[in-house]
Amino acid sequence: MKILEIKGLTFSFTKSKEPVINDFSFSMNKGEIVGILGQSGSGKSTLLRLIAGLEIPNKGAIHIAEAPVVTEKLFVQPEDRSVGMVFQDYVLFPHMTVKDNLLFGLVRTSRNERKSRLKEMLELVQMEEFELRYPHELSGGQQQRIALARALAPQPKVLLMDEPFSNLDSDLKDSIRLELRSILKKTGITCILVTHDRNDVEAICDRSISMSRIGDGNVSSIEKRIRIK
Amino acid sequence: MKLESVKRYAKKELNGWWIISLIGAAVILLPILYVFLEIFQEPNENWYQIREYLLGNYVINTIILVFFTGILTIFLGVTLAWLTSAYDFPFRKFFRWGLILPLAIPPYIAAYTYRTMLSYTGIVQSTLRNQWDVQINPELLSFSSLRGAIFVFTIFLFPYVYIIARAFLESQSSSYIENARLLGRKPTAVFFKIVLPLARPAIIGGAGLVIFEVLSDYGVTSYFGIHTITTAIFQTWFGMYDVDTAMRLAAWLMFIIIGVFILERLLRQRKRYHLSNKSKPLVPIKLKGVPAAAAFMFCTIVLSLGFIIPLFQLIAWAGLTFDKVWDISFFTLLTQTVSIAAISTAIIIIVATIIANVCRSKWAFPYILSKVITSGYSIPGAIIAIGVLAVFIQLDETLAPLYSYMGLGDAPLLLSMSIVMLIVGYVIRFMATGYNAVEVGFEKIGTKYTEASRLLGHGITKTFFRVELPLIKGALFSGFILTFVEICKELPLVLLLRPFNFETLATKTFQYAKDEMIHEAAIPSLMIIAISTMSVVVFHLIDKRVKK
Ligand SMILES: Nc1ncnc2c1ncn2[C@@H]1O[C@H](COP(=O)(O)OP(=O)(O)O)[C@@H](O)[C@H]1O
Ligand SMILES: [Mg+2]
Repeated sequence: MKILEIKGLTFSFTKSKEPVINDFSFSMNKGEIVGILGQSGSGKSTLLRLIAGLEIPNKGAIHIAEAPVVTEKLFVQPEDRSVGMVFQDYVLFPHMTVKDNLLFGLVRTSRNERKSRLKEMLELVQMEEFELRYPHELSGGQQQRIALARALAPQPKVLLMDEPFSNLDSDLKDSIRLELRSILKKTGITCILVTHDRNDVEAICDRSISMSRIGDGNVSSIEKRIRIK
Repeated sequence: MKLESVKRYAKKELNGWWIISLIGAAVILLPILYVFLEIFQEPNENWYQIREYLLGNYVINTIILVFFTGILTIFLGVTLAWLTSAYDFPFRKFFRWGLILPLAIPPYIAAYTYRTMLSYTGIVQSTLRNQWDVQINPELLSFSSLRGAIFVFTIFLFPYVYIIARAFLESQSSSYIENARLLGRKPTAVFFKIVLPLARPAIIGGAGLVIFEVLSDYGVTSYFGIHTITTAIFQTWFGMYDVDTAMRLAAWLMFIIIGVFILERLLRQRKRYHLSNKSKPLVPIKLKGVPAAAAFMFCTIVLSLGFIIPLFQLIAWAGLTFDKVWDISFFTLLTQTVSIAAISTAIIIIVATIIANVCRSKWAFPYILSKVITSGYSIPGAIIAIGVLAVFIQLDETLAPLYSYMGLGDAPLLLSMSIVMLIVGYVIRFMATGYNAVEVGFEKIGTKYTEASRLLGHGITKTFFRVELPLIKGALFSGFILTFVEICKELPLVLLLRPFNFETLATKTFQYAKDEMIHEAAIPSLMIIAISTMSVVVFHLIDKRVKK
């Protein structure tokens, strides 16, 4: 089953400007981890925002789990798309504890289920002891784990990660990359990971796409590579 | 854009929040439009009379007041801002924020306080007479008319210029000033050649606020018997019940306001400096000996005139009339004032929050919307009041058949005699105060928390209550205080829109003063000053937090 399908997607911030995303098409299967590579400003974050429903495309369509979420006629609100996102700077709610941050996305779940899901998620990212801390009491790496757990908790159909390593010390990166891949594979989630670092993609992803600027406008080109293990 | 994609955009952006915002904007805009539309109506006889015999005089008085107050507040405000930011002298830290305190005393209270103090029986002349046997030519001290009004406006409104100029000097100007100092320029040369031209946009911005206050004033001018366009609006309404002519005067005043507004923009924009945004704070030079004493004295004199002297005089008078004024009816007055201000403020903050939330989305329309709903602030209370009055009278006429159907009698003035009218007036006038505070709160948190919450499955309303509201509640609180204080101080609007026999602290104070019961006015005045001091404190706290 195609879990995510994008057809002819075009988007510009203002009408007069060259499109940031131009006639972009792409699809992915359930459980795949796909890397999106590109220099800064090539439209990677914008692509994720379009998938999430935080921006409206000028043209094209997106389907999630074979159901349209945006077409020329239709628009599904972000909260109804079943898309999870780990933001570049994590965006944990500062007025809530780790526990409340994790429970926040468990909307239509029973009380018992919420409890067990919370425990499961904390175990997954190995943060059990930090349940009652506030985000500002955590290190950058810990915040990132919580952000990941928060996004996974509601069991989204697709997980979007925007530059997950940009705020971390580089000497930690290798071990964190491997850990992230193992967490993602353990949950079987379908994931798009955006980065400007080819090493991230090679360590984590099954295949990758690169977005690049061609000419004056930002034109997205596609290049696929199968992960070699 | 194709119709279908318009519909799709509407689906993304339109919701209950939008609908409330649009209704709010319409309610705010309607009375102001009403005033403008009056220009296209055929004027009546009163208007020709006023235009023939009086209007010239009104306009001249208005111009004199604006001109002299403008010049003097700029002089005082900038001098003090320069002194407290570029020099260090005893008690500088205290004066730095203490010089804002004159804003806590509404000019109409200052007007009657000073006039009485300087009168034949007032403390100044009687002390001179009894202690030193000095008789002063009463002409010299006569404190009324234009001279008195200009003095009062200057001393009690200069903080607007002071605050903005000081913030500018402290944060933006250090590199230029230090360079000039290193080049060996004398302090006066630095002031006139560098500081004044650099700070011009800030100074003009502050002076603009002062001028708007002067143009809106009714309390000071009517107490001193000066005829301006604003007082004329009151006379045509209370003297002749001629709402059309009052609206026509209001439209005239509106044109003057727009003129001032455009002038301010032009003066501000002709020269724009690219100031480095990383500039370090200005390091004050330590003054010693005579200059230090002179700086201290100057600040002390201004603060005494602008706060301490009138405050002590009012306290003394309050002591004389305490038994008489401080009773149950005063308590009623107080609760009445506080509840009407609290209700209006609550409506303002709720509506402002809804509209500010809607205006965070990126398209151009919200920008216009936010400008519309904050427009009330640059419009004098009297103009808004007349517009609201006209709309409510019209509403009552339109609803008359309904009233009689409901058995309320023939054409009663139901809405236009009710407290609803006053609340609507307050909401329109002070929406901007609340809105700006709320907007700052939203700007500080940005949109990322909202987006995170929506991707976790919550709609915008739930996101608002669970994520945004807890994060902006500090901003809402300071917005509430600032707005509440403005409403408690307000005079012209409440005088025009209050129901029969409805009194607030402000109207009661003004009534006492007009009836020459000056001592009785002291207690409600002190109450207003105490409430106003709250906003000075909030200001100070925000300033302190920003510094951290
Ligand atoms: N809100 C915005 N308004 C206008 N232009 C934007 C906005 N956000 C991003 N852009 C522009 O769109 C392009 C792509 O941005 P982005 O998707 O953030 O790139 P990346 O994530 O690959 O660094 C950039 O040229 C950027 O300047
Ligand atoms: Mg990016």
